[in-house]
Amino acid sequence: MNTAIRTVDLAGIGSVEVSVADYGSGQPFLLLHGGAGPQSVTGFAERFAAAHDVRVLVPTHPGFGGTPRPEALRSIPGLAALYNALLDQLDLQDVTVIGNSIGGWITAEIALLKSPRVSGLVLIDAVGIEVPGHPVADFFSLTMDQVFQRSFHNPESFRIDPATLPPAAQAIAAGNRAAISVYAGATMTDPALAGRLGTLEVPTLVLWGDSDGIVDVDYGRAYAAAIPMARFQLLAETGHSPQLETPQQVIHAIWDSADTDFTAFAR
Amino acid sequence: MSKTAVTRITHSSHLIEIGGRTFLTDPWFSTRPGYYQGEPIAVGIADLPRLDGVLITHEHYDHCDLEAFAAYRDQSVPMFVAETVVESARKHGFTDVTALAAWQEAEVGGVTITAAPAKHGVYEVTFVLRSGHDAVYFAGDTMLIPELAEIPQRLGHISLALLPTNGLHIRPANNMQVVMNAQEAAELTAILKPELAIPHHYAFTKGFLGDRLITSSDKNPMRYQEASRDVAPGTNVRIVEPGTRVEL
Repeated sequence: MNTAIRTVDLAGIGSVEVSVADYGSGQPFLLLHGGAGPQSVTGFAERFAAAHDVRVLVPTHPGFGGTPRPEALRSIPGLAALYNALLDQLDLQDVTVIGNSIGGWITAEIALLKSPRVSGLVLIDAVGIEVPGHPVADFFSLTMDQVFQRSFHNPESFRIDPATLPPAAQAIAAGNRAAISVYAGATMTDPALAGRLGTLEVPTLVLWGDSDGIVDVDYGRAYAAAIPMARFQLLAETGHSPQLETPQQVIHAIWDSADTDFTAFAR
Repeated sequence: MSKTAVTRITHSSHLIEIGGRTFLTDPWFSTRPGYYQGEPIAVGIADLPRLDGVLITHEHYDHCDLEAFAAYRDQSVPMFVAETVVESARKHGFTDVTALAAWQEAEVGGVTITAAPAKHGVYEVTFVLRSGHDAVYFAGDTMLIPELAEIPQRLGHISLALLPTNGLHIRPANNMQVVMNAQEAAELTAILKPELAIPHHYAFTKGFLGDRLITSSDKNPMRYQEASRDVAPGTNVRIVEPGTRVEL
């Protein structure tokens, strides 16, 4: 693994510095973290690159992980434009974009930019659309204990007491929280997104933890229904962060998707 | 006398030289998310020679990239197309567009163009170009259907066949097959008995995930070459890289 600071010129924003960790070599994947920050996907990236001939790029969204965020970069479509430009800069082809939670929302917005470089999407417990009767949990009103409870099938393995973190880590966590608010807003949805997704023609796999308490399974089914030809698959005994809780299931779901009987997850 | 020759540009897009005329088949010059040639595009639109005609089998993007091909320098180039392509071709500015249904024919500068039947996920026709003793059959991405056996009976000897071989299946449509496979292409070769056959439509990919979720296909044209050795030993099957000109 190596990490590089990439400078990306973005129309209307200017130069944006983005930290990109690079794992393995081979078939390219862009892996986008959610509100839990980059460390919620780096272990998965390492595991994926060790299991298969893949190159996994993990950017840290500016403002997360203690990184700077340009004041003008303050929306999910803005992040999508940033990563679209990054793929151009790296001249990558046949890229599968994987995103968890808010990272899934960024993934959907990247797809809407319709770059030929992006050949497929994997949305993992993504937020971003509005589904009547199935709201995204109000993250900002939850205690951290409640967040852990809703985020994992088996929260005990992951629960930490934020008060016990060293001051530097607490500052990063506070920065992550502020970045979520700036990029995704309080509701973590865009009422127009589901309608816009109807124009997509890119192969899409929608993976959902069956115990997700942040965005429920019916929300996930609605996400898949909004994207033409998307395939939906439930992950057993898994919450909102499958790449953390059941990474082997996620790797299997992506790599062996040709062998999946999707009728088992029919809508 | 000019030689009959073919230059594969990419996928099913060829330049066919016959009777001193040059024809372009199924233009595809760009990429989109989930649609990749899987091989180079050997000739760009600006570098195309002067075309005497363009043949388009059906409206699918990888065979009918009119958005890109609209940049070709002469929009009055004669186009011979499946009827489902006519409206789109005119909308993209082409002024000389003729629909040909199976067994209908047209003539350009001494070359006879005859549409032949086809079967695919959408309406499609294929084409035979004839000048003198030479005839080229361009099969687009049709399935093997019994009607294709009528080609030599109706149109005489075929000298050169350009055939799809990837046996493309669409997974979400009950894994429906929409393109002939290597064995079927070999069977068609045995029926047509051309001196030379060149496979196309095999490198195409929908990308890492698309090849898993949407399509399955055989990307190895050597399977066609091997199958033809058994059932059509009189035909020379050549696997041709994009950009290579092959004379009959």
